[in-house]
Amino acid sequence: MSRVPTQPEKAIKLYKDDVEYMQMMKDLLAGDTSEEGEINRAVIQAVMDRSNEVLQCIEEDEPFIASWYPYSAEFLTAMDVTWWMFAQTAFLGIESPHVLDDIDGGERLLGSDFCTVLRLLLYYVEADISPKPSALVALLHPCDGTTIVHQAIKHGKWGDIPMFGADPPYWDDERAIEYYANEMRRLVDFVGEVTGKKLDIDRLREVCEQSNKNYALWQEYNELRRAIPCPHDWTIGPPQAFAMATYYNVGKPEGEEWFKKLVANAERRVKEKVDPIAGGERIRVLWFDILPLMWQFDIQPWMESEWGVNLVMNMFGYTPYTPIDTKDENTMFHDMAKRSLNDFPMIRQARGVADNFLSDIEKIVKDYSIDCVIWPGHMGHKDGSASIGMMREKCRDIGVPFLYIGLDLFDKRYTSPDEVKDILSKFFSQHGLGNK
Amino acid sequence: METTVKSKALDTFKEATETILNPVLKKWVEGGGKVMGYFCSYGPEELITAAGMVPMRVRATGSTSTELADAYLSSINCSFCRHAFNAGLSGDYDFLEGVLWLNNCDHVRRIYDNWWRKIDTPLAHMMSLPKMSGDTQVEWYKDELVNFKAAVEKHLGITITDDKLREAIKTHNETRQLLRQLYELRKKDNPPITGAESLAVVVASTCMPRAEYNQMLKELLGELKGAEGIKDYQVRLMMIGSILDDPEYVKVIEDMGGLVVTDSLCFGTRICWGDVDEKAKDPLQALAKYYIQDKPACPRMFDQQVGRSNFVKDMVKEFKVDGVIGLRMVMCDLWTGELFMTDKDLKATKIPLLRLEREYAVVGAGQLRTRAQAFIESIGGRR
Repeated sequence: MSRVPTQPEKAIKLYKDDVEYMQMMKDLLAGDTSEEGEINRAVIQAVMDRSNEVLQCIEEDEPFIASWYPYSAEFLTAMDVTWWMFAQTAFLGIESPHVLDDIDGGERLLGSDFCTVLRLLLYYVEADISPKPSALVALLHPCDGTTIVHQAIKHGKWGDIPMFGADPPYWDDERAIEYYANEMRRLVDFVGEVTGKKLDIDRLREVCEQSNKNYALWQEYNELRRAIPCPHDWTIGPPQAFAMATYYNVGKPEGEEWFKKLVANAERRVKEKVDPIAGGERIRVLWFDILPLMWQFDIQPWMESEWGVNLVMNMFGYTPYTPIDTKDENTMFHDMAKRSLNDFPMIRQARGVADNFLSDIEKIVKDYSIDCVIWPGHMGHKDGSASIGMMREKCRDIGVPFLYIGLDLFDKRYTSPDEVKDILSKFFSQHGLGNK
Repeated sequence: METTVKSKALDTFKEATETILNPVLKKWVEGGGKVMGYFCSYGPEELITAAGMVPMRVRATGSTSTELADAYLSSINCSFCRHAFNAGLSGDYDFLEGVLWLNNCDHVRRIYDNWWRKIDTPLAHMMSLPKMSGDTQVEWYKDELVNFKAAVEKHLGITITDDKLREAIKTHNETRQLLRQLYELRKKDNPPITGAESLAVVVASTCMPRAEYNQMLKELLGELKGAEGIKDYQVRLMMIGSILDDPEYVKVIEDMGGLVVTDSLCFGTRICWGDVDEKAKDPLQALAKYYIQDKPACPRMFDQQVGRSNFVKDMVKEFKVDGVIGLRMVMCDLWTGELFMTDKDLKATKIPLLRLEREYAVVGAGQLRTRAQAFIESIGGRR
């Protein structure tokens, strides 16, 4: 009996196209022999490697899993299970010419006020343009959208594959962590059943120790981003670091190697006071969400050139992580659960009570000498948009301007780049920010 | 379309849906009685009753504006939450001794964070509600009940004994049983009560001293049992969705000829289908089991989609339903996904579904009338 479901032909073709697209991007960067170019190419290679692993599994009938970053994937690395974040398909397609059609396809399924990424997920499944995994690990937090979209996926074209969901508690205390640690043990059993692979605790320890090294280097890098001027702009650093530590290189030595290069590069730039903003860094921004992935080239370069903005920190680049205690099996599961509940971006802020939104803003503003906080107000982030009053008051208390925009991070038709630029310009002007 | 019965009890129930502090509740408050609000059908109202308070499901009846709440929430938050929080900020809920929240949805759970920071309600408590319904989740919810009980006891300086809890469970079970008797009458070919009137009866159960309510409901049931049934309708409808507390909305549909005979709503079967085990040794355990495993589930419960779908299909059969109306509050992700699935399930069994989007405080009678009329006409030929 086959261990990998029959694949939709369209999906495999599209996926191979994605890999080719990444290769093309990598080739374009080949001429950039700088340290920064090398760092960026390594990230693209990691994306391609993961995609190729999935394709290889399909070719060789090896089970592979669709999962999500907030499941502390150290155990998957230790079990040598190929997994991929099937949202990646949406993220990789995000710059492609057909993405607007895909979003419209998603709208036909789930309407227009449902998070665009989650709409895309269901669309890719229903339209047979996502590889079909051996099993699906559903995410039940941080939002209603994730809870229901996985039910819809299971209800539809992926109804015949096993699905697992860990029940997330609302609290972040010891009781909640222990509860979630048990949920993660169930998850390990599930993955074992569908892949036939077992978790070796000694191997898990090795992976966690490696993971701790990677996260420590990420934190070291973030310390360097506190420098004025910040050593890197939005094109390098936080998003890649997040991807390498929590997804592509979880608990892998390749991750350590990459982070060392990132840290060394940032260190050198700090020492040499290299300012990545051509006209000089004038506004240090906390962009408190994901970056506008589909249309970042419409906004970020403009912010840099027009206003001297450096997006010094964002939600996904922030590192509140604590190391996993590798003493024994219990401590490792406890700390993987803690990380899964309390540390990963978006889950940390949006899953439970709103306090982490506020304490994170306060800490980041202080640590990174932030001039203003922007909550983009992605149309899918309903809980966050119900926290704007609290965020605004927190920012007022700590004396930093706050802006709520209201946009779709993945669809520039919702609030156009011109409208966003207008809102940003008025905000910066009103607060006397970015004056040359 | 309305019942032929002249009933004082029904008039009282209808009156209870028209204001937040209805006359019966007002009398209770003026007599020194305490009231605790709660936001979700997963809220353990028995525990509030056992503490000597009246549990009141928070609504925003009569709200015409969200201008105070809009300083804290945004336009992508659902209109129920904006109106409910606005009602709190306006002082409409100043009579409450406490409010209980659960993380039932992204909008409501954030009202908790905003409420306790801005509104001086003496007790604001949040319970962590699981998203699944296994035995592990029953145990988790039970621990949450223990914490909630302790918070109420500490706040009021009382002890909620097991006997008090059992008594409250019995009273609330009686409400559920009586409400189910009401639904039983609605199975008739000529039901003695409309869907709008039934909704008023259910809503009233969530905002009155429970024993008094039960007495009135018994009176109403007695009056309805011998009543002439409603004949002037074209089709029998079922409504599914989240919070609908305005009978006027249902009335608009019924005036077009579609009699609403059953539902899967927060103010409906979701709070009365099934009972808490009165004989269980541990009343908190019995409550936990009821809320997590036994009562009809809402779409937030990850592992219950098949059960929810079967519930709708069973109700369609039992109540001889011709068509289903699926209601979605604008911006509600849970019901977006749920109706996507229900649509497919009902299509497979050839049951017509009309999907309607709604805002909390606006009936939008004109548009609703047109949509309902078209739907009723489209399925009317089936009878």
